[in-house]
This record gives sequence, C-alpha cells and structure tokens, in this order.
Amino acid sequence: MIRKIQSQPGDLGEAVSGYGFMAPAILVLGLFVLVPIFYAVFLSLHKVQLLGGVEFRFIGLRNFGRMLGDERIWIALKNTAEYVAIVVPVQTILALILAIVLNTQIQGRNWFRIIYFLPTVTSSAVLTLIFIWLYNTNGLLNDFLAFVGLPTYNWLGDPNVALKAIMLMNIWSTAPLFMVIYLAALQDIPKSIYEAAAIDGANGWQRLVHITIPSLKPVTFFVITMGIIGTFQLFDQSYIFSEGKGGPNNATLTVVLLIYQYAFKTLDMGYAAALAFMLAAIIIAITLIQRRFFGDGRLN
Amino acid sequence: MKRRSFSLATLSLATATLLASCVRGLRHIWNSERRNQPQTVTVSLSGWQANPNEQALLAQLLQDFESQHPAIKVRYETIADQYMDVIKTRLIGDAAPDVFYLDVFQAPFLMNKKVLEPLDAYITQDFDLADFEPPLLNAFQDRGQIYGLPKDVSTLALFYNKKAFAEAGLSRPPQTWQELREFSKKLTLDRNGDGKVDQYGFGVIPELARQAFMIKAFGGRLVDPNGYAAFATEQGLQGLQGLLDQYRQDRSSAQKTDVGTHSGSEMFAQEKVAMVIEGNWAIPYLTETFPALEFGTAEVPTVNDQPGTMAFSVAYVMNQQAKHKAAAWQLIAYLTGKEGMKRWTRGGSALPSRRSVAAELGYDQDPLRSAFSAGVDYATPWQAGEYLPLIMDNFDNQLLSAFLGEQTLLTALQQAQATANREIAATQ
Repeated sequence: MIRKIQSQPGDLGEAVSGYGFMAPAILVLGLFVLVPIFYAVFLSLHKVQLLGGVEFRFIGLRNFGRMLGDERIWIALKNTAEYVAIVVPVQTILALILAIVLNTQIQGRNWFRIIYFLPTVTSSAVLTLIFIWLYNTNGLLNDFLAFVGLPTYNWLGDPNVALKAIMLMNIWSTAPLFMVIYLAALQDIPKSIYEAAAIDGANGWQRLVHITIPSLKPVTFFVITMGIIGTFQLFDQSYIFSEGKGGPNNATLTVVLLIYQYAFKTLDMGYAAALAFMLAAIIIAITLIQRRFFGDGRLN
Repeated sequence: MKRRSFSLATLSLATATLLASCVRGLRHIWNSERRNQPQTVTVSLSGWQANPNEQALLAQLLQDFESQHPAIKVRYETIADQYMDVIKTRLIGDAAPDVFYLDVFQAPFLMNKKVLEPLDAYITQDFDLADFEPPLLNAFQDRGQIYGLPKDVSTLALFYNKKAFAEAGLSRPPQTWQELREFSKKLTLDRNGDGKVDQYGFGVIPELARQAFMIKAFGGRLVDPNGYAAFATEQGLQGLQGLLDQYRQDRSSAQKTDVGTHSGSEMFAQEKVAMVIEGNWAIPYLTETFPALEFGTAEVPTVNDQPGTMAFSVAYVMNQQAKHKAAAWQLIAYLTGKEGMKRWTRGGSALPSRRSVAAELGYDQDPLRSAFSAGVDYATPWQAGEYLPLIMDNFDNQLLSAFLGEQTLLTALQQAQATANREIAATQ
C-alpha cells in the first residue's frame, strides 16, 4: 500500500480523501469495537482489582485454567447447550412453517404478519415480566393446562421446568423475526420453477421438499447461525426470571449471566473477560462446523 | 440584489449585537443576585426503592433538613434494581453519590476496600454515639474506625393469622419449633377436597438471610475466622433439618412460588399460609394493603430452647471521594440523629437503632411491634465477613435443591460450602 502511494504520487490525494470519508466509521468502530476487544484480551490475562485503587497483575493464562475447576461454568454451559439444542431447531422450523403459510394467498395475511411480528418489536424485558405473570402458579398458563386436563407446573420455582419456560418464551418471541426473513426469501424463488414442476406432475408436498426448502438453504444457514449466536447469548430473560441469580438451583444460569455475575457482582473483570472469550470461541467453532455441514453456505 | 444581501447582513449583525448585550445584561443581574445569597452546596444521596410510604417519609425528612440547613441542597436518587452492583460500579467510575445506604451484610467488603470515609473525626459529643445499639454500631466498624451509622434495624418475628388459628381451635401462637410443626399440621387445610392444599400451616423461606440463626441454634457457625464458609457440620444442619422435614415429610409448609406469590408477606397476606416468619417491614404492607386481614405477631419460636432471630440493618455511609464532606456529614448526622431517627422510625417500617429513640417511641409496648423489638437483644446480625454475598448465593442454591429432594441436606450444604470456598480462594 505504502509502496504504491510512493510510486504513484497522484493517488495520495485519493487515498487521503478515501480514508477521510471512512474516518467516522473507522473511528466509531475502532473506539467501540476494536479497542474493547483488545482491552478484553488484556483483561483476560490479568488479575484485575478495580475498587479502592485500580490494579492489574499479569497472571498469564491462569484465568483460563481456573475455568476447568469452576463447576458453575459446566452448569451454565450445560444449560446453554440444552437451550440452544431445543430453541434453534424449533424456532427455525416454526419460522419456516409460518412463512410458508403466510406466503399463500390466505385471507387477511397482512394482519397475520403484523400480529406475528409484534412480539419481536416488543422489548424482551417487558415480555419477560408479562410471562412471569402468565407462568405464576395460579396464572393463566396453568389455568389453561388444568382446563384442558394437562398437569400444571411451578414454572418459576421448579428447576426442572424453569429453563423450559424461558425456552417457550424465547421461541414465541424470536420465531417471527426469522419468519420475516424466510418470507422475503420465499418471494425470491422464481414462479417458473414451480410451474415447471407442476407441469411435470409434482404435488404440493413434492414442490415444498424439492424446490422450496433447497432454495432456502442459504437463508436457513443465516437463520440458524443468527439463532445460535442469539441463543448462546441468552441473558436478559434469565436475568429477570431469576433476579440476576440464575436460580432456582442454577437452573437458569447461562454463560452470559455467569459473565455478568463475575464482572459486576464479584468485580472479577479478568476472569469475566476470559469467560467471554471462551463463549466467543464456542460460537465461532459451532458456526464453522455448521458451515461445513451446509456446504459453502452462500449468503447471496 | 447586492444591496439586499448587504442590508440582510447588517440586520443580522444588529440582531446579534442586541442579543449579546441582552445576555450580558441578564448575566449581570443574575450574578449580582447570586452574590447576595450564601453559597449553596449540593450533596447527592442514593438509596434503593422501598415502599411508597417510606419514600414519602424520606422526601419529607430531606425537605426538613434543607430548611434547617439552607446552604445545603440534597439531590436524592433511587437506584431501582441491583443496588450494590450499581454502587460498586459507580464507586469504580468516581461517580458514586456522596452519601448512600449500605446494607450490613455488604459492609465488610466496602469497608475493606477503603472507599468509604471514616466518620470518627466528624462525630461530636452531642451526637451521642453511645446511644446506638452496640452490635449494630460494631457491624459498621473495621479496625477501630466507624464507616457507617445505622439508620434503623429490622428483625424477624412470627406472623400468624388469627382467623385461621381460631378455626383450628388454637388460642395462642407456637412458642417452640416443635409446637410450630404441630400447629402447622392442624392449620394445613384442603377446604374443597380436590387434593390440593388451600392453606398451608407455615410459609418457609429457604434462604440463608432468613435462616442463619438456625445454624447457630445448635452450635454451628456460618464462617470461620478467615471468612470461609463453615456451616456444613452436624450442629449447623440440625435446625435446618427440621425445616426441611416439615416441608418434605409433614407437607405442612410451602414456599412462595409453590402458592404463586412473590414474597413471604404476600403468601401470608393472601392467606395461602397461616404463619410466616417475616420482618417488621411487612407490618405497614399488611395493615394498609390488606386491612381485612386479622393477624398477630409473636417472637420467633425457640429452637433448641434458645430464642433466635435475624437482625438486618442499613447504615448511611460517606463516599471517600465526596466533594463536600462537611455538608455530607451534616446530612448523615441529621438522618441518624435523635430527631431525624425518631421521625424516620415513627413511620413504623423499621425499628430505631438508638436506644433513646426506641424508649421514646415505646415499640416494646406496641402490640404488633413488641415481638420485633424484643428480638433486637438476641438476634443474629446478618453479617459474616467479606464473602457473605458469595456464600449466600451458593447456600441458597443448594438448600433449594435439598428442599426439592434432589439431595440430602448434608450433601447439599457440603457442596455449597466447597463451591463457595473454592470461589473465595480464587478471588484472592
């Protein structure tokens, strides 16, 4: 780059104006994305003391070594993995079904689209508070279950169902977002392919399985990737659900909640930063594996 | 065209000059007025959200303070959620309020970090330090220095539903823990016979903050002298085992989420349970929100023939970075002084931490509050070294799993202790 500028002095002005135009973006990204990332690397290698005199002590990789003996991490990872394994497939399939239904010429589909999309534009904190009421032992959900003769649960207090309660809430609120993405993609599939298949005698189901779903593959890759990232970063729902504790009995403890607890409750920023890196590494690894699984996963 | 733009320029210049002179004139008037007034300083104060009555009472107190000290303005801010996390973060960022609430169980951590201003130098003779209950004052001392002055104290006592007691043919509240279990069985009712209990005898809160005195009752201890957890012993568990057996075997007690409520006082208020052990803060809530509820209070039943309860206290502390320390002290001295404390605790949500105020208000004679004020003498203060918040989280988690029958009490609490101690060691 520098050599090029030196050899062709005429380009210098162009480069300067180019970087000039990019300066706001570079500045903002650098300040709020790059610098924090490098600072987090720095923090994760130190023992940090913040209150009463800031102090950094270099301890190498000991923060990472500490994770092995920390059983709460394994609980958090197990909870998070269970959450991802259930929520991502369910919300993807649900989004696909909703999109296919709304892509047909049913009556009032615009209204359905708006109604389905409403949970996504509502703040998740508000949704959680509403759901806590629904999940009350004497709440609407249990009343409904009892009415149709199903067993009722202590959704908030029983560790065996507390995480499921959050899953239910999250699937309900994020599936519509992915539905909209699928809807947009569905309208991009050329009608001529369907017509050709119909002429060849393919029925509706065959057209769905052999045309629609394969055509949506790049979008499905995107939806699953975003779903995995979003679900691995589960925080606000379980935070509000358990008042920041991850209870009952660690049932709603997630990795990000654990990071929050170490960072702001015990003020152990170094360890919290190390945990954040562990989470990032897991998400990157899973995305790479999934990329192989989906072929080259073209996004355009 | 040219002329017109010239005249426009002249006009705008003239307007600018006029505006500037106006501003200068106004500033002059304002300055001269300010010179006539004494210089005022602003002290910032933060606390957490309490009930609306308490909030109104504090606002009233602050107004009175400002009228008595015209040179000091108080800027009060409520921190709605996660109070200690917010305060700690603001202390790190040099943005903490000058004066703030500090819960007794969080005090050792902040006192040890040297972010609080020692108050010894400010305390005068007529502030009458000796008037404070010594255990409460000690809780806010570290290495001989006073860092906070307790604004009030709360204890736990037994609330019982008089109607439910009469219905079950019980004429008085239980006095021992054995009695409590017997009474609970009589008070546990399935009124409509659908197999679901409509009223439990006792509302249990399996949290360390509420049960620490149970550990002491049979000679156990919460932490060792170095602040490490040390509760998982035979003696430490005996009291808790009774609670657990009642919940799992007698099935005569319930937790708050079992009956769809959010707190102990709520399950009592909604008559889901006939007895609950709650703090004095529940009295105004019950009398105001549920005026039809007929209830009485009694001292916590004795465990192992010993009286026991918990004492919770909150102090006003001063930030070491406070700008106007003298003014901040004036505020603390007013709020924890005899007059201020009398007005504060007369509201009835908390008991005074000064003996003279307690004697004057006569809460030891009050039918609802005498049980609480009696408890101050033998209560276990809710404080146990710097790591109590961490120990508490692990304890609560594991105790709950024992209540759910996932493991025995001993293994649950051994695990809680081991995890807590490992985390404590890692923070050093």
